[in-house]
Amino acid sequence: MAEEIRIGVFVCDCGSNIAGYLEVSELAEYAKTLPNVVYVKENLYTCSESGINEIKAAIEEQKLNRVVVASCTPRTHEPLFRGTCEEGGLNPYLFEMVNIRDQCSWVHMQEREQGTDKAKDLIRMGVAKAALLQPQEPIESPMDPRAMVIGGGISGMTSALTLANRGYQVTLVEKAAALGGLLLQLDRIGPSNADAASLAAKHAERVQKHPKIRVFTSTAIDQIKGYIGNFNVTVSTNGVQEEFGVGVIVVATGARVLKPVGLYNYDGEKVITQLELESLFKKGAFDAKKVVMIQCAGARNEDRKYCSRICCMVAIKNAIAIKERSPETGIQILYRDIQAYGTENEELYQRAKQLGVRFLKYDQAKPPKVEPGKVTVYHQLLGRDLELPVDLVVLSTPLIAGEDNEAISQLLRVSLDENKFFLEGHVKLKPLDFANDGVYLCGNAHYPATVREAISQALGAASRASIPLSKDVMKVEPIVSTLVDEEACRGCGLCVALCPYGALEIVRTEKGRKVRVIPVACKGCGVCAATCYQHALTINSYTDEQIGQQISAFLETGTEG
Amino acid sequence: MNNDVLVIGGGIAGIQAALDLAEMGIQVHMVEKLPSIGGKMAQLDKTFPTNDCAI
Amino acid sequence: MGNFKVKVRKKARYVNEDLCTGCGSCAEKCPTMTVDVYNAGLGNRKAIYKYFPQGIPSVYTIDAEACRQLGQGKKCGVCAKVCQANAIDYEQKDREVELEVGAIVVAVGYDVFDPSVIPEYGYDHLPNVVTALEFERLLSASGPTAGHLDRPSDLALEIEVESLEKDQKKLSRQVKQLEEKHGKSSAEVLAQVKSGAAADDKDLSGWASAAEKLSDVEARLEPLKKKVAAAHSAKKLAFIQCVGSRDFRFNKFCSSYCCMHSVKEAMIANEHDNEVNSSIFCMDLRAVGRGFEEYKLRGGKQSNIRYVRGRVAEITEDEAHNPVVWYESTTSRQVLHEAFDMVVLATACVPTAGAAKLAELLGVELDGNGFVRTDPLAPLNTSRDGIFVCGCAQGPMDIPESVAQASSAAACAAEVVAPARQTAAAGS
Repeated sequence: MAEEIRIGVFVCDCGSNIAGYLEVSELAEYAKTLPNVVYVKENLYTCSESGINEIKAAIEEQKLNRVVVASCTPRTHEPLFRGTCEEGGLNPYLFEMVNIRDQCSWVHMQEREQGTDKAKDLIRMGVAKAALLQPQEPIESPMDPRAMVIGGGISGMTSALTLANRGYQVTLVEKAAALGGLLLQLDRIGPSNADAASLAAKHAERVQKHPKIRVFTSTAIDQIKGYIGNFNVTVSTNGVQEEFGVGVIVVATGARVLKPVGLYNYDGEKVITQLELESLFKKGAFDAKKVVMIQCAGARNEDRKYCSRICCMVAIKNAIAIKERSPETGIQILYRDIQAYGTENEELYQRAKQLGVRFLKYDQAKPPKVEPGKVTVYHQLLGRDLELPVDLVVLSTPLIAGEDNEAISQLLRVSLDENKFFLEGHVKLKPLDFANDGVYLCGNAHYPATVREAISQALGAASRASIPLSKDVMKVEPIVSTLVDEEACRGCGLCVALCPYGALEIVRTEKGRKVRVIPVACKGCGVCAATCYQHALTINSYTDEQIGQQISAFLETGTEG
Repeated sequence: MNNDVLVIGGGIAGIQAALDLAEMGIQVHMVEKLPSIGGKMAQLDKTFPTNDCAI
Repeated sequence: MGNFKVKVRKKARYVNEDLCTGCGSCAEKCPTMTVDVYNAGLGNRKAIYKYFPQGIPSVYTIDAEACRQLGQGKKCGVCAKVCQANAIDYEQKDREVELEVGAIVVAVGYDVFDPSVIPEYGYDHLPNVVTALEFERLLSASGPTAGHLDRPSDLALEIEVESLEKDQKKLSRQVKQLEEKHGKSSAEVLAQVKSGAAADDKDLSGWASAAEKLSDVEARLEPLKKKVAAAHSAKKLAFIQCVGSRDFRFNKFCSSYCCMHSVKEAMIANEHDNEVNSSIFCMDLRAVGRGFEEYKLRGGKQSNIRYVRGRVAEITEDEAHNPVVWYESTTSRQVLHEAFDMVVLATACVPTAGAAKLAELLGVELDGNGFVRTDPLAPLNTSRDGIFVCGCAQGPMDIPESVAQASSAAACAAEVVAPARQTAAAGS
């Protein structure tokens, strides 16, 4: 590597955004004094057409082999400048951007001299790093255009149908004997009052008949290897194993209803759950005359801090259903808050009240007491105890994480939250993605959801999944983790454990256990490189040497401060 | 059958829908009445429950 | 479906988007200020502006109505003079763009309910009663008060003081010039004019009147400046939930996110200044999403938030412009009133002003609340094939739900326009 490094530095005025607060001409003069710099130009707007053309011209005329632009944040124009280098015949990763605007001129508007000094430091550091940059090529990874959906409830079926309708081959894996999930146990769903079992049956029929969907029932997942675009799945049905490949996976494994053993004298007969009440409706076996429903039974407490979102509306729906079957049945709902959020639920709440359902507020600190034939509750608004005669107590219990969540999270190397529900990539902006690429999430597996919300999320997860599916090949920016010193790697696995994206794995080689990078899953975050005490791993374009050189460059002129 | 999609509104929902469609390879036309996209979310300071900044 | 012809009017920015680099020189020199809608009306901006600094596209726009030249026919042209990219184009016209599309996604969001229709909350005339969005701008470091919880009544005082100081400067200069020119003191001239000795002397009368005005301004300025100096940022906050929501008079529905929104604002306010304490007046505190209940509890434990169950009956004001909240605490069965530094109204989420017209144009139905109607089992579908709706245009929802729905709507639209993909290595 005896090439002569020839760096071109383009310092930007950015109109008055930089020039208004720093001495840009001084910066340009300073850049000329830096090692390996053969050409410097000050621009009004480097990102303008004339600025771009100047860069291209300079690459050719001055035989530049590295380009540094000192201007705004990489988030605005780094792709533009990389593209410009490429057009000028230079590998786009031989380009370094120095932010002297957002991180300098904009925050030091009243400190012209010191701001300019700081910009000099930044430029010196950028130039030092640029000298060490190496050309990189984008990494290509295969994209298997097939999908797997885990879970055959309303979410799983909706996701599968959506992907299949777009022409993708989908494999749907369900552990039970029939498709339908929780819907099979429900009577009617609110607010449409649709029959749950028919809804499930309709979807199941469409799924079974669809030419692009292959259904496995009574099936467990034994193993999932690989990464986005290249997953390898092994399933077993009654002991018979089968292997297949997919590019993306949707997790739609649902949740369970808590059976509140030990709470409120729950016995499954006189004290039952809402799910068990629906079962009574379905069998036509409901005959109680005095019903008391208790909300937040086993939820919003020390054991389970979360609100299960749907139980208030389930109780109201079921209370209305009781009144419609049996108007003379008295119903009292004991609640802490009524979570009738959104546009439709308030109306149902009002309707329940109009039908004579009574709502009594209790405090978490003084929960109701359930005994045979009566419920005693401290009515928070009346300020006294009430004794309610009762022949059926219905407990509104929360949805809790599916029993297989831990196992699946390990198979897929995805995260769970503190309640063991699957954890999405970002609570606000990536509600249906996992942090790991190629795996998506919807329905109760994510968090308790109504049927409407589950359908919506399932469509969304299918949309997210179809983005990589629509590509022939995955193209990845090469700023990823690289094993630069295989000898040094001890296969300790610390980096694998810390990688938030599942982008590293330990493999057996002739030299023993070594780490292997999965470039397509890597986001270049650098945790692995920072962790590796053997310095075996580094990040392309952010190597230890490059960062070290930046630090040395910063310290060498020793500016005060 | 035309293969483009029109997204009316450039708030967070419009932006996400447009991004998803574009990443699927579909041409999107987005129409926004204000001079920039961002909608109400751009007016928020931070968002619950992570307290991330809205911008 | 599959074949919509849409006519869109691209409004004139009076700035050439291809040339504008977003540098901001124009706004720096623009002489005209107008109300800043982005800052919920709490601040000002120039007639040539970027809606907000990080806005995309990063180009400027002239508010033609506010612009001195375009709106009021006065001569200006300053922005064109200083623009180094030659991007200003006063002749730019609106133009019509015709689009042919296979599917449409409606994502027009919502409007904030205007609480002035609830006279007992005093939003119209009590300066320290603000909406949640206005409070959001006050909290924001990029907002009109750089994140300090300055009370609007104090801000108004500051503006008054500023204006009086301007007058004072002008009058002082005037009077001083006259004193130097004639070698007399203003007091002498005042006395002269008052005694009637110089009744016909227009110059002297003018001088006297200026001197009188000056002392009048100074007299008013003194106490106001003292008030401004004594002003403190808001420390005691009240949040009123369900303003315009869950209300038979206005909107019966629940706006879903405002309970969490208020908890968040109270927490952030406490982060800015840990002397801030907040009371949230609510019926039910709806914290139903992932992490929300825990967030609400954290607010109570760590951010000085107390939750009061009771709807607020009325808001009045004391002499120091402190809003006084009258309410029943239902859990203690008492009717109480309490003064706060600032009251934040958690306003309802209502359909956008243009929703009805848009629905008509598109041929889609609205529901009883004015949001776009959907089917619970096909939650993104509108009443018209090929047109989908997501986010608050459909009904109030928070950000994760809007984002998830947006992806859902994309899937629906994609199914219409790109139903069968030719995939390379399709396995059967």
